[in-house]
Amino acid sequence: MDFSLQTDPPGIAGFRKEVRTWLQENMRGAEHLRWSASWSTREDQEEYDFRRNLAGKLGAKGWLFPMFPKEYGGAGFTIDHQMVLETEMDRYGLSLNHVFYTLARIVAPVILKWGTEEQKREFLPPMARGEVSVWQVLTEPQGGSDVATCQTKAIREGDHYVVNGQKTMVGHHLPPEFLWTLVCTNPSGARHENLGWLHIPADLPGITIQHMHLMMGIKNTVFFDNCRVPAKYLVGGENNGWRVANTHLELEHGGEGRVGVDPLVERAVEYCRKTKVGGRPLMEDDRVRETIADMMIELNTLKRFNQRNFWHRFTRKPHPYGGAQQRYFQRMARLRNGERLQQIMGCDALVQDLSVHEVVDFEYAVRTGPGQLHGGGTLDTDRLVFARRVGLGRPTKEKAPETI
Amino acid sequence: MDLRLSETQEMFKKVAADFVKAEAPSHLMTQWYRTKETFRPELYRKAAGLGWLGMLLPEQYGGAETSLTDCAVVFEELGRGPVPGPFFSAGVLAAQIIFEGGSEEQKKSLLPVLCKGESIPIPAIADKAAYWGPEAVETSLAGSAGGFVLDGSKRFVFDAEAASSFIVAARAENGEIALVLVDRASAGVSIRPLVGFLVSAAEVTFEKVKVPGANVIAAGGGWQLLASALEKALPILCAYQVGACQEIFDFTVEYTRTRVVFGQPIGRFQRVQDHCVDLSIHLDAARYATYEALWKLDSGLPARASVHEAKAVASDGYYQACNFAHMVFAGPGTDYGHPLMAHSVLAHTLYQYLGTPPHHKRQMMDALYPRATA
Repeated sequence: MDFSLQTDPPGIAGFRKEVRTWLQENMRGAEHLRWSASWSTREDQEEYDFRRNLAGKLGAKGWLFPMFPKEYGGAGFTIDHQMVLETEMDRYGLSLNHVFYTLARIVAPVILKWGTEEQKREFLPPMARGEVSVWQVLTEPQGGSDVATCQTKAIREGDHYVVNGQKTMVGHHLPPEFLWTLVCTNPSGARHENLGWLHIPADLPGITIQHMHLMMGIKNTVFFDNCRVPAKYLVGGENNGWRVANTHLELEHGGEGRVGVDPLVERAVEYCRKTKVGGRPLMEDDRVRETIADMMIELNTLKRFNQRNFWHRFTRKPHPYGGAQQRYFQRMARLRNGERLQQIMGCDALVQDLSVHEVVDFEYAVRTGPGQLHGGGTLDTDRLVFARRVGLGRPTKEKAPETI
Repeated sequence: MDLRLSETQEMFKKVAADFVKAEAPSHLMTQWYRTKETFRPELYRKAAGLGWLGMLLPEQYGGAETSLTDCAVVFEELGRGPVPGPFFSAGVLAAQIIFEGGSEEQKKSLLPVLCKGESIPIPAIADKAAYWGPEAVETSLAGSAGGFVLDGSKRFVFDAEAASSFIVAARAENGEIALVLVDRASAGVSIRPLVGFLVSAAEVTFEKVKVPGANVIAAGGGWQLLASALEKALPILCAYQVGACQEIFDFTVEYTRTRVVFGQPIGRFQRVQDHCVDLSIHLDAARYATYEALWKLDSGLPARASVHEAKAVASDGYYQACNFAHMVFAGPGTDYGHPLMAHSVLAHTLYQYLGTPPHHKRQMMDALYPRATA
């Protein structure tokens, strides 16, 4: 086995050098920006602008989706190039997937799998160029985790779908260009067979977006009121939405994989070196060291689960239960680590205060514990998917959907 | 990045898996654990014939000079049994101690017979049950005419009953830790099996045992030598525990399909599913921590912290995997005739063997963040 993220095969070393130099040049001016995970809820316009600008520059080179074919805006590269880009971005604490807050990282692969040739040529290049912010718009007030119970209707009228309904707890504080959503296209059809998947331009008449102020920052309720969506935005064909959803959900629910490293432990260690009690750094305290060890081991485990899922995804051999397992573990580990941070640093773990934390964001790490337990479906849906994939109590195992 | 096994490793895996099925089928294995007859000389000889003892050693000493990962793949399958016997304690750890610390003469005389299974040296290191570390070495080694005299007692010696000799850690007169080879048949050596919720372990006492000078493997610096040998050996033990976790996961999943109560297979109950999710997390946490440490060692990367992490995660994982399986199996899983009991007893034993998870977590931290006041 080879866990290395940087053993560049012949011909790749030059590419790494190119990317590194390019990033050095293009990251200039970002030194004072905080690259913490919480940017999406902090409403920092300067950071957002920098990120969108950077995404545009990466996209222009085909580097946002390096393995996508060139005709769809990718670079037609190999997994080795992808690894170079992922790891070089990670040096700045940035992830290729999250250059700015858009769901394109999941939407684009789903379109690549389910879209028609025409759709791919129209929808993918702007995403690959980093020009499109897409919101995932799935949760409904009544449905919650049960997305297939979808009440938002999209009834075909000529060459349009007329959309009526409501999605909630979606998006963030910055406006979207597209809404990526599941709709009910056949209200009298059987469950799972009555759905369609729409990629809706967010500026169509009949769409209202209303902010919600929640634990993790701003989310929204989106109202569709006789919104007429041209039929070309239906992805995956008539009443095929559930199969599109399966590809989407597998990626969203851990199957996406990741090769970056969570800097939380290093930052906590830094805090414990600087903070002294009775002249002695916290880092010399046995209990602090034990708590940090537990935090580190869980984050290392998570890193390895992510890496495994990444590898399975890009070698096109979906792991049977890796996505659901990673996602459940990630959320439980985050909850435990939030408590550990409080045990180590007291109320400093609860305070949003840049003068205390500099580039550290412990408060966010604590708040995401309970705050991110349910995003994209509860913990229980993760365990449910796991049970089906492993075949617990069942004679057959459900196959993991193939993703791209 | 490539998370597949190599072709050679796939072959090793298959041979080892077939061996476990043929030589240590579940019904025999549970019987050995139940009756505490865990050293099976016939199995051990066959394993020697397959080249699984001293696999890591150079060919000139009787080994196969495989990579650590190659060796780990074999031990993962043995762990599925769990096949009992000193495959690890003699075949990996003792071999590595002698290889790294022994004189050329010692290597030539001790290692080839070890690889053939004709000699079984077993490490006997800590005197205390409650502590693993150099401080727990109190057995004394005093100079005498024509050699040394060894005096002391080792509370927890894993695989002691299989031993033909012991590699004993002892305090030399200058306070240094020495490692000496002691023939089991020497006068003053006594072995008392530890009976209870553990297996294959014994207390070994050395009462004024005479040790010839030629049997000294290290006159001093014994703990450093041991630490260095452990850095390569521990991940192999971890792989054995990963195999055990995988076996437990597999038979537990199968049980959720076949066991019917309240009118349906128990795997349809979400509470039961939860236990299986937790079990899988311990299994895969152990698996990838172990194979990442092995990869680092095979690639010549610094691996000390990773090795300690792997031992902590794999020993804890095996222990927890058993506990979650017990939640699923309930009563029947507590029968000594059930494979889960063999695992459960062994998991508790290996939790202790060569340092508990908390010990290795502390070592991991010390490797990464040395104390300013150390």
